[in-house]
Amino acid sequence: MAKTTFLNVDNNNVLASIQDLLKSVLEQDDIEAILAPQNIKIGNNDKGINIMPVLIYDPTLIEDIDPLAPTFVMNAAKLVSKLTHKPMGKKIAVVLRACEIRALIELVKLKQANMEDIIIIGIDCLGAYTNKDFAKLAVSDAKELTQQFCENVLAGKEPPVEGGPDLSSACRVCEYPIPENADILIGLFGQDIKKQIMLQSLTEKGTALFEKLSYTESEESSKKLADRKKVISEVIARKKDFRDKVFEITHEATNTLEKLSNYFVGCINCYNCRVACPVCYCRECVFNTDVFNHDPYQYIQWAKRKGSVKLPADTNFYHITRLAHISLACVGCGQCSNACPNDIPVMELFKYVANSTQAAFEYEAGKDIDQPLPLSVFKEEEYLDVVGIN
Amino acid sequence: MDKNNSNALVVGAGVSGIRVALDLAQQDFHVTLIDKSPAIGGILSQLDYQFPSNHCGMCKMLPLVNRDASSQFCLRKGLFHENINLLLSCELSELSGEAGNFTARLRQKPTWVDPDLCVGCGLCEKVCPQEILDCFNEGLSSRKAIYLPVPHSIPNAYVIDLAACNRCGACEEICPTDAIQLSQSNRKEFNILVVDDELSIRDSLKEWLEEEDFSVEMAVSGADALDKLSQKHYQLMLTDIKMPKMSGVELLKEAKKNQPDLSVVMMTAYATVETAVEAMKIGALDYLIKPFDPDTLVPMVIRIFQDIEATKDREITIDTIILSTGTSFYDPADKKNIFGYGIYPNVLTSIEFERMISHTGPSNGELVRIDDNMPVKKIAWLQCVGSRDIQKNADFCSTVCCMIAIKEAILTKEISNHKVETTIFYMDMRTCGKSFQRYYDSARDKHGVRFERCKIHSLSLDEKTNDLYIKYISMGGELKEELFDMAVLATGQRPGYKTAQLAKICDLPTNPWGFIQTLPFSLTLTEKEGIIAGGSVTGLKDISQSLIQASAAAQNAGFIIHSKGNKQLEITNGSKELENKEVYRDVSREPVNILMVICTCKERLNRFIDSKILIEKLTQDPCINNVHFMDNICTDQGWQEFEEVVHSYQHNRLLIGACHPYLYIKKIRELGKKLALDPVFIDVVDIMTGVFQESTDSQNKDIAIDHHITSINITGILNAGAASLKQAQYQVLPEAPAGIPVYPKALVIGGGIAGMTAALGIADHGYEVSLIEKTDHLGGNLTWLKHTIDGLSCEDLLEDTITKITKQPLIKTFLNSQIISCTGYAGQFITIIENEEKQPVTIEHGATILAMGGNEAKTKSFNHGADNSSVITQKELEIKLDDKTIDPQKLSSIVMIQCVDSRQEPKNYCSKVCCPTALKQAMTIKKLNPEAEVYFLYRDMMTCGFLETFFTQARKDNIIFISYETDNLPQLEEVEGKIIVNAFEPVLGRPIEISADMVVLATGIIPEFPDSLAAMFGISQDTDGFFQEAESKWRPLDSIKEGIFACGIVYSPGSVPESISSAEAAAHRALSIISRPTLSCSQIVARVRHSLCALCQQCIDVCPYGARMLNVEETKVLVNEVMCQGCGACATTCPNNASVLQGYSGQQMLGVIDAVFMDILN
Repeated sequence: MAKTTFLNVDNNNVLASIQDLLKSVLEQDDIEAILAPQNIKIGNNDKGINIMPVLIYDPTLIEDIDPLAPTFVMNAAKLVSKLTHKPMGKKIAVVLRACEIRALIELVKLKQANMEDIIIIGIDCLGAYTNKDFAKLAVSDAKELTQQFCENVLAGKEPPVEGGPDLSSACRVCEYPIPENADILIGLFGQDIKKQIMLQSLTEKGTALFEKLSYTESEESSKKLADRKKVISEVIARKKDFRDKVFEITHEATNTLEKLSNYFVGCINCYNCRVACPVCYCRECVFNTDVFNHDPYQYIQWAKRKGSVKLPADTNFYHITRLAHISLACVGCGQCSNACPNDIPVMELFKYVANSTQAAFEYEAGKDIDQPLPLSVFKEEEYLDVVGIN
Repeated sequence: MDKNNSNALVVGAGVSGIRVALDLAQQDFHVTLIDKSPAIGGILSQLDYQFPSNHCGMCKMLPLVNRDASSQFCLRKGLFHENINLLLSCELSELSGEAGNFTARLRQKPTWVDPDLCVGCGLCEKVCPQEILDCFNEGLSSRKAIYLPVPHSIPNAYVIDLAACNRCGACEEICPTDAIQLSQSNRKEFNILVVDDELSIRDSLKEWLEEEDFSVEMAVSGADALDKLSQKHYQLMLTDIKMPKMSGVELLKEAKKNQPDLSVVMMTAYATVETAVEAMKIGALDYLIKPFDPDTLVPMVIRIFQDIEATKDREITIDTIILSTGTSFYDPADKKNIFGYGIYPNVLTSIEFERMISHTGPSNGELVRIDDNMPVKKIAWLQCVGSRDIQKNADFCSTVCCMIAIKEAILTKEISNHKVETTIFYMDMRTCGKSFQRYYDSARDKHGVRFERCKIHSLSLDEKTNDLYIKYISMGGELKEELFDMAVLATGQRPGYKTAQLAKICDLPTNPWGFIQTLPFSLTLTEKEGIIAGGSVTGLKDISQSLIQASAAAQNAGFIIHSKGNKQLEITNGSKELENKEVYRDVSREPVNILMVICTCKERLNRFIDSKILIEKLTQDPCINNVHFMDNICTDQGWQEFEEVVHSYQHNRLLIGACHPYLYIKKIRELGKKLALDPVFIDVVDIMTGVFQESTDSQNKDIAIDHHITSINITGILNAGAASLKQAQYQVLPEAPAGIPVYPKALVIGGGIAGMTAALGIADHGYEVSLIEKTDHLGGNLTWLKHTIDGLSCEDLLEDTITKITKQPLIKTFLNSQIISCTGYAGQFITIIENEEKQPVTIEHGATILAMGGNEAKTKSFNHGADNSSVITQKELEIKLDDKTIDPQKLSSIVMIQCVDSRQEPKNYCSKVCCPTALKQAMTIKKLNPEAEVYFLYRDMMTCGFLETFFTQARKDNIIFISYETDNLPQLEEVEGKIIVNAFEPVLGRPIEISADMVVLATGIIPEFPDSLAAMFGISQDTDGFFQEAESKWRPLDSIKEGIFACGIVYSPGSVPESISSAEAAAHRALSIISRPTLSCSQIVARVRHSLCALCQQCIDVCPYGARMLNVEETKVLVNEVMCQGCGACATTCPNNASVLQGYSGQQMLGVIDAVFMDILN
C-alpha cells in the first residue's frame, strides 16, 4: 500500500533535502550503490557544469548529486540495462526521470533489462534544456541554478530562467512529468519547495524502503495530495495543448513524401539519434549491415531514375525503419533531437508517429510493465480494413 | 513412377478426398486422386466462409512435415504433391479384383483445352458467343461455353462445355497458345445411324446432326439398319421403337449380338416410355421422347460422343480404393414445392445464398436481390427443407444446416453492418459440435439474429414487390404471417451425384436413403475389404468430422497397402538427404553472372516487345551478361533445347522468363544437379500474364500495341528476378542438419476404446506403441456401456479389442500408470511414467496420442445425489438397467430431463451423446414395459444424421416430448414418495405436472484432462477443458505443438463409432511422423544470426508453431527446423535482422522492390 509523507526543506535548499534522503538510502545495508546525476567537477571548474549519471558507492560523494539540474545528457535507461541485463548480485538504487523509467520498462519487456536488483527513485520532472542550451546557461554555480530553475518552473515561469532559453521541446510537450512507475516518488508539484517536498512509496519495494527509512504516513496527506493532483492536471493539460500544436505543425511539415524528405534533408547518417535512443536495443543496427551495403551500380540506377540522388542515400529509409521498429516503444524523451548535430527535429516526428501507432494498438509505451508488447500478441479480428479480410 | 500403378485410388477431390490423398501421400504412398469435375474442392470451392472463424482455411490441411513435397499455397486454387497424381474430369467406370490388387478403369473426359498450354488469358471467353447459366454460381449468373470451372484455380485453365458450344471456332482461332483443340475432336469420324420409318424424322435428325459435323446415315427399317451395320462401323445408332416388322427393341438385340460396343439411343413416344426403359436394361444407352427438338437431341449426342470417342480410358492397378464423392443437396423444386423455389424470384437455397455473399458471386458479394437489384433488408432462413421429413424419404437430419444458417445470418449481419434483419425458422437448433453452442448464442445475443421455433406453413408471393409472405405455426399453435424480401432454404442432404452408380461399380450396399453403408462401429470400412469410405459419402458431415473420417479412411487404406500391397515407395527422406549433400559448385566468390532465357511463347511475345530494346535495357546491369530468346520452354522438346542453350553459356545464375513458375519447381531441382548449380541460383518469373492481359485488352480495339510499355513491364519483372538471384544464398548451409532423427514409436495415453484403437492402428503398421492407462484395466467407458442405440454390443467390441491388444506384441500396456513428465518435440519426445510402486519408466517416442476420454458430469441439480434414489443420471440408469436393479416392469412413469447443467455457462456445449442415450434407454424401457409412460423434457433434440430415425421411432412409441427454455427450468417436488415434475408445456401454453417414479438426468460429458497433463505436454485446453485443436475445422486432431494428437472424448464428446474414427485418424497423423527415419526440414525455414541477436525473444512470442526456444545455457534462440513452417512472423518482428527467413533476406527483398519501382517510375 502506498504511503506518503512530507519532508521539510531547510534553508530554502530543496536539493540538500533530496541529497540527505538519497544519502540515507545509500546507507541502507542492502543498497550497494546509487545511480544518479552528479556534477563532475573538472579542474577549477572553468569548463562549466558537467552533470552526468554516476554510480556512487561512497556516501560522502552524495553532496555532488544533482538530479534536479535542468539537464538531461542521456537517457539513463540504457545504463540501467547495462547494470541489470544479467544478475549483479547486489541491489542498487537508481534515480531516474519519468521518461527514463518509462524507457526502462520497455527495455525490461524487451528483456534487455531487469527490475529485480534495482529500486527506482523518481522525482517529479521539471524538464531540462537541450545539451547545447544548458552548456550556454550553466557556467557558474550549479546548485544556485538548480534552485532558481525549480522555483521558477513550479511558479509557471516561461522561460524558466529569465532571459534564458526555453526548455527542450521534448520536455515542453511531455505529458508524463510524474514518474508513476517509480518505487519511491519525490514530489515537487503542488509543494512549496522552499519548505517541504513530498515522499511517497508506490510499490511494495518502495514501501519496504519507506518503512526502513523510518518514515510514517503523514496525517495531512489526503488534502495535500488532492491539491497536488489539481496542480499536476493543470500542468499536463498545458503540455498537451502545446503538444497538439506541435503535432499539427509536424503533420503539416511531413505529410507528403517530398516534405518528409525535406524534413530529413540535413541527415548525414551519423546515427547519433539511434545511439541516443534508449529503446533502440539492437546489437547491430541493420543499417550497419550488408543489407545497406549496396552495389555501386545501384547508386547509378537511382540517380538515373530521378535525375540525381542525394547522398548519403537511405536517410529517409533509415528514419522510417527506426519509426517502424521503435515507435511502439518510443517514450518521447527527446534524446534523438538532443543528439542530432544538424538540429533536425527528430523527436517531434517520432513522438507524433508514436502517438498514432501506440493508439492503434491501444498501447502506451512505458505505462505498464504487464501490458504485453503489441507485436508479441495476436488478435484474430484486428485491422480488418487493413489486412483485407472481409 | 509408373503412372498406371498407385497404392490407392481416391475417388472425389473435395476436402475429404484431398485429406485422404495428402495423408497417404505424406506416408509416401502413391495416390491417384480423381474428380468428376474439372476442378478440386467439391462443395467447399463454392463456400468462401466457414464458421467459427467466418473465413476459409483450407490451406491448413497442407502437410506441415516434409512440406516441400507439396505445393504451399491456397488449396482452393490447386494441389500439387509429388506422390499425388491428380486427374480431373475423371470418373471411375469399373472396378475388379480384391484388396491389394484392384484394377480400376478410369474415364477422363477431355476439356478440349490443353491445361498445360492454357495460360488463362481469357481471350477465348471474350469471343465466345454462347452464354448459359453458371453452375459455379448455382445458376445465379451466366457464363460462356468456354469458361473457368472455378474463378480462383492455379493453373486456371479454361474448359469447354461442349453441350453449350456451337463449335464456331472463334476461341480456337484467337487462342494465343494453341491450347484449344476443338477442331481435333474429329466428329466426321463419328458415324451415326438414324433408324426411323418416318422420312421427316430421319431428315431432320440428319440435318441437325450434320450441322454438328457428325457423319450421319439413315435406315428406313430394322432390316435396312442391320444391313448398314454389317457394312460399316458405326459408333452410335438412334432408333425408333415402333417400326413395322422389326421393332426398335428387336433391332437393338440383333445389333448388339454382332457389335456389343455399339451405343444405342431409343426414340419413343410418351406412351411407350416403359418399353424404352426396358430397352435400357438390355443395353440401350438412353432414350428420347418424341417429339423432341435439336436442343434435346444434340446435347445428348454430343455427350455420348464425348463419352465414347473423346474419353481417355485408362486402367490402373491399386491396393485400395477410397470413396469420397461427398453428398449432393435436395432439390426443393419438387412436386410439392410449398416454398415456391424456382417460381418465386427471391427464394434461394443455402448454397445459392453462399454464392450471393461471395466476392466471386453473381453480385460480387453485394447483398442485393437478383431480380430487381434492390438491397436486401429482411431475410428468413427456413430449416429442414428436405430433411427430417418422412414424406420426402428423409427421416434423417442433415446435420450441418443449422450451423450453416447461423453462419449465413451472422455473415449477413456483418456484411450489412447489422442493417439486415435475419430470422431463422427452425424446429430444433442442432448445435452438437465443439464450439457450436457458443456460436449460436453469439448469433442470438451479440449479432441479434432472431430464432423462431415453429413449423412453416407456406410461402407466398407479393406479386407487386416480389416480397414473400411466410406463414408459420408458432410453438403455441398460433398461425402467424410475416413479410420478408428473401428466403433461404436449408436444403438437406441427398446421396452424392452418382452414388448409386458408384455403389454398383464397387458392389457395395447402401443404407435406406442411398448413402454408402459402412460396417458396424466403423464410419469408414465397408463390407468389401479394401474399399473404404471417407467423408460425407456415408452421410453429411461438417468439415472437421469429414476430415477426421478422411484421415481414418487413410489409416484403414494404409493398413491395406501395408498388409496386402506393401508397395510403399522408397522413403523419400533418404534420397532427400543425399540431395542435400549434393555438391554444388561454389559460386559465392565469383562475380554475379546472370544468364536470362526468355520464352517467346511461339513467337507471340515478339508482337509485344522489341527484343533489341529489351536486351539493351537488361544488359545495362553489369550482372546480366547474356539474354537468350527461345520458343516454348514449357514443352518437353522446348525444355531439352533449353538445357542445351543453358550449357552453352558461362553463368552462375539463371533466370527464366516464362509463365506459370510453379510448374518448373521440379525441373529446376533436376537442372541444378546437371549444372552443379544450387537451385537457389535458378528462378522462373512470369512475364507472360501481363502480356496476355494486355493483348486481351487491346484485342478488339484495333489499337497499335505500345511496345515501349510492354517491354518495360517485362524488364521490371526480369530485373526483379535478377535482383533476387543476385542476393541468393546457398540453401543448404554446411552446418544444416539433415533432419531430425525420429524414434519410431508412439505413446498413447488412455486405455479406453479410442486409445486402444489408436494403439492398434499404429502397431498394425509395424511400429511400437506404449499404451498408458491410469486404472488397473483397459476399456474406459465401455466397461459400463453395454450396447449402442442401434443395438450393437459394446461388450463384444471391448472383448474383441482387448484380445487384439493382448495379441499384438508391439503394444506394451502400462496399467496403473501416470505421466510424470514429457520433454522434446515431434520425432523426439521423452516421457517418464510411474506405476503404482512409483517406479519410473522412461519412454522415447516420436509421436503422442492423447486419448484420456471423459466421464458423465456429476450434478447436484434436481437434488441428485441426495437421499432420493429416484433421481438418477443416464449412466446410472444404464448400469441399473443392465444389472437389473431397476425393473422397467415396475415403472409406470419416467421423466428424462435433458441438458442438465449443459449448453449453458459454464458448461456451454452440447455433449452430443445424451439425447441418443436417453432415447435408447426410453425405448428399452418401452420395449420391456409398453405401459410405462416416458416423458422427455428437452431443449433441442440432438439427433443428428441417421439418429433422427430413433427420434421418429420414439414418437411413434408414444414417448412424449416437451421442450423447455432455460429461463423456465423444470422443477421437482416430492409428494408422498412420488416425484412431481413441474414444467411448462409450450404447445398447450400452460404449466403441467407429471407424476414420476423416476427422473433421469442427462448431465453431459466432461473431459478427463487434468491441467497438469496439458502443461507437461505444452499444449492447451479449450474453455471447457477439452483438447484444444490447432484449428477447429481443418486440423481437428492436431495440437498446435506438432507431434501431439488427440482422439476420442478428450477431443470432443461423441459416439463409440466417432471415437473409433477419431482414434484411427489420430493413429494416422502419428504414423505420418514415426514412419519416417528422419523429419526433414523444408528449404524455407527461419534461422537466427546469433551475433546479431539481442535476445529480446519477441520472435519466440510470435512464433505460432512453437518452433523457437531460448537455450538458457547457450543463451541462444534456437529454431526447430521441422516445426518451423517458414511463415516469417519472427523475421517481421525482429528489428535486428537477427531472425531471417531463408530465401527472403532483407537485401533480396529490397533489391526486388527497387527493381520493380525502378521500372514503374522510369
